[in-house]
Amino acid sequence: MFVGPRMKRDLVTVTPGATLEAAARLLTAHRIHHLPVVEEGNRLVGIVSDTDLRKATLDGMSGGADRGDSGRPVTVGEIMTRELMTLSPGDTLDDAMLVLSRHRIGALPVVDGDRLVGIVTKADILSALLSTLDIEGLGVRIEVVLPRDVKEVARLFGALGDAHVEVRSLVLALHGDDGYAAFIRVATIDVASVRDRLREKGFAVGELSDFYEGG
Amino acid sequence: MAFDTTRAMVGGAGPLPERDIIEGFDRLIAANRLFGADLNSSVIKKSGKGTPFLVRRHPSIHRMLALWRDVFANRVLPQEILDALAPEVLGLAHGDGLLLFGKDRVLYDCRIVRGNEGVGHLTLCFYREREPVFRFLPFPRRPGHRIVYIEGISLSAQSTGYASSLFRHYERLFHDLGFHRFRLKASLSVGKYYWAKEGFDCEDRKQFGEMRENLLALVRRLGLPVEEQEVRRLNHASMVATFRRELPIPVYRNADGYYATARDASHTEEFRFPLGKAFLLCSDPWDGCKVIYTDTPRRTGLVWSEGFLDHEARPGHPESPKRLEALLAAIREEGMRESLIFLEPYIPAMESLHAVHDPAYLEAFREAAARGDRHFAVRDCAISEGSYEAALLAAGGVMAGIDAVLSGSSDNAFCAVRPPGHHAGRSSAMGFCFVNNVAAGARYARSAYGLGRIYVLDWDVHHGNGTQALFDEDPLTFFCSLHEHPSFCYPGTGRRLEKGTGAGRGFTLNIPLAPHAGDREMIEAFEREVVPSIEAFRPELILLSAGFDAHRDDPIAGLECTEDAYIHMTRRVLELADRHCEGRVVSVLEGGYRTESLVSSAIAHIKTLQGRGGSPCSSARG
Repeated sequence: MFVGPRMKRDLVTVTPGATLEAAARLLTAHRIHHLPVVEEGNRLVGIVSDTDLRKATLDGMSGGADRGDSGRPVTVGEIMTRELMTLSPGDTLDDAMLVLSRHRIGALPVVDGDRLVGIVTKADILSALLSTLDIEGLGVRIEVVLPRDVKEVARLFGALGDAHVEVRSLVLALHGDDGYAAFIRVATIDVASVRDRLREKGFAVGELSDFYEGG
Repeated sequence: MAFDTTRAMVGGAGPLPERDIIEGFDRLIAANRLFGADLNSSVIKKSGKGTPFLVRRHPSIHRMLALWRDVFANRVLPQEILDALAPEVLGLAHGDGLLLFGKDRVLYDCRIVRGNEGVGHLTLCFYREREPVFRFLPFPRRPGHRIVYIEGISLSAQSTGYASSLFRHYERLFHDLGFHRFRLKASLSVGKYYWAKEGFDCEDRKQFGEMRENLLALVRRLGLPVEEQEVRRLNHASMVATFRRELPIPVYRNADGYYATARDASHTEEFRFPLGKAFLLCSDPWDGCKVIYTDTPRRTGLVWSEGFLDHEARPGHPESPKRLEALLAAIREEGMRESLIFLEPYIPAMESLHAVHDPAYLEAFREAAARGDRHFAVRDCAISEGSYEAALLAAGGVMAGIDAVLSGSSDNAFCAVRPPGHHAGRSSAMGFCFVNNVAAGARYARSAYGLGRIYVLDWDVHHGNGTQALFDEDPLTFFCSLHEHPSFCYPGTGRRLEKGTGAGRGFTLNIPLAPHAGDREMIEAFEREVVPSIEAFRPELILLSAGFDAHRDDPIAGLECTEDAYIHMTRRVLELADRHCEGRVVSVLEGGYRTESLVSSAIAHIKTLQGRGGSPCSSARG
């Protein structure tokens, strides 16, 4: 999946000359944590986060004031991060996830050349995962443990087809040394009978609650 | 009064010696006040006039004694009961009081006199009902409740104050003697409006249906500004008596004091009375019946109709008509039939459903059922030809329950409806649900009765996503759901973070329970979170989405509750309702798919609604 369709396009940005106070107001007003810093022509020159702002304010307080020597207010341009990790629309969500995770950062501007075209945040990645797995959708998850054999996966699909059940999402993961674990999200209230049918056909169906360490 | 009611009330006072009772019989026989009798039903039907039985010699002492034990449990002497039955009320006394021994009942017959002048006639009958054990066989039978009937009362003078004072005295007396029910049966002619106001209803529901039709015909004939639905939702003669008090219509009286709605040769004197009163004054005679529930502290309505069985799913589908058939059979088995006020559902006005559902959605549902589709929208929602009407009737059932509770004809109500409703959204059918019964009921309570704050408590094992979505932004309808955690259970919604939106934020409370949670966890969560939220919200009505599929025997989900949790929650909800809204609770059946646990849980729930001890019924355990 490419970054283009998933990135946020209606951007809230600041210019390097904006005051910290103006930047902080923007963050609060839009309930966001990152502001790309652009010059004319939407040319990306940096990014400023709420963490940067907080840090600058704390530094300013310990140093006397958040004002420069001349007494004028500190600007975004003075505290922004200039060495940027960026993506291009042709990068994939996998790239975004790896970068966000490895560098422990919260947002990645997306640039076309040096022009800012979008932003991808951790929240965007989470919502992509939520919708891929259909976690908010209506349904229940069934877990089936299979031998690591694609024919078994096909047989599982056949069994689900016979049960006339609507499958909302399916994740197949490696399980142990020679197995698969299939997480199937099905949209039926009568999930008990779907589980029963699968068991009748010889599948090892776990109750998700079996894995729950209840108090 | 010779009879000391406190003696009979004292537990363990025990029956009187048979010797004393035999002696009592002998004295009455010697005084010509005790006879044998056969009921003459053809005379009774004509009512009031003449003696409703053929008097003959008394039966053997042995048979009389057996009957006395059966009916009065030997707690009262023959002379005592004669005296206790004849109080002087409003200057009227009883003359020629007789005890009569029929085949299976003891009768009391007297003239009502003012001074020496006879002004009326009264016949009571005491017997023990035999409940058929099997549904279709009259035998074998088992001893049922002890019942008092007033077989006939007639007064030549209009004197309703007398009858109601007398019945109040009797109610106390019969209660102390241990009778379960007190039925007053009289063919009501002139006084029918006053009887209805006193709480008399039609003897059978078919007759009441005819009464409703007649009222509707009158409304149409006179072109009155009355909606058909207003008439359809009447469920008790007392509701007719007080119907549209602000709307007077003309009636015409004849020389004998009978009224008619149209002027003719004899009915000439014009009066104007409120619609309901005028209608009853002019209606044909009907058999009235009042059941006084001396064995349950609360009057609980039961909404039920055969129409709910017309929604049939494909074989093997969990939401089957058998669920309700079994529940009704159990209500009969438990001998609860007569202690419940049966309420009839009605097809609601479409506008009241459009407050909850998209008209196009309902129309698509109607078409799918009419076309003979096997399911609607999703495969879970299996349908048959009768599904659409049944679903509408289920919503109307909740409305009928609300009518009964808000008009005071019952204290609370259980609506044994299907299909269930709490998953149904504005235009979505899912999880066996088509029309959101509880939501439609809440909207109806608001529009028809002007209620403000309504608290909906949903303890079905599944999250009530449909109801939640419909009231998401509504700060006047508090939606609270206890259910198995959405990561493990259908429909996958109902997380804690769902708290309502916009103005409704804070008026949705979701309490997910971990798989395998049982009574302890359920009751703890209920006490910790539900109770304070009801207290803080101060509802004017509490609606329950009462599914019983959190039971440990129910296969559909993973909670492991028992009847005890339902009894506890029901009792507490009643307490809170007493404090905030005069005990107004309307409970609506949702899920519950294993027949045995559904039935035993629902019976325990209904008994608790009735204010009984609330121990699970005999079939509750294993």
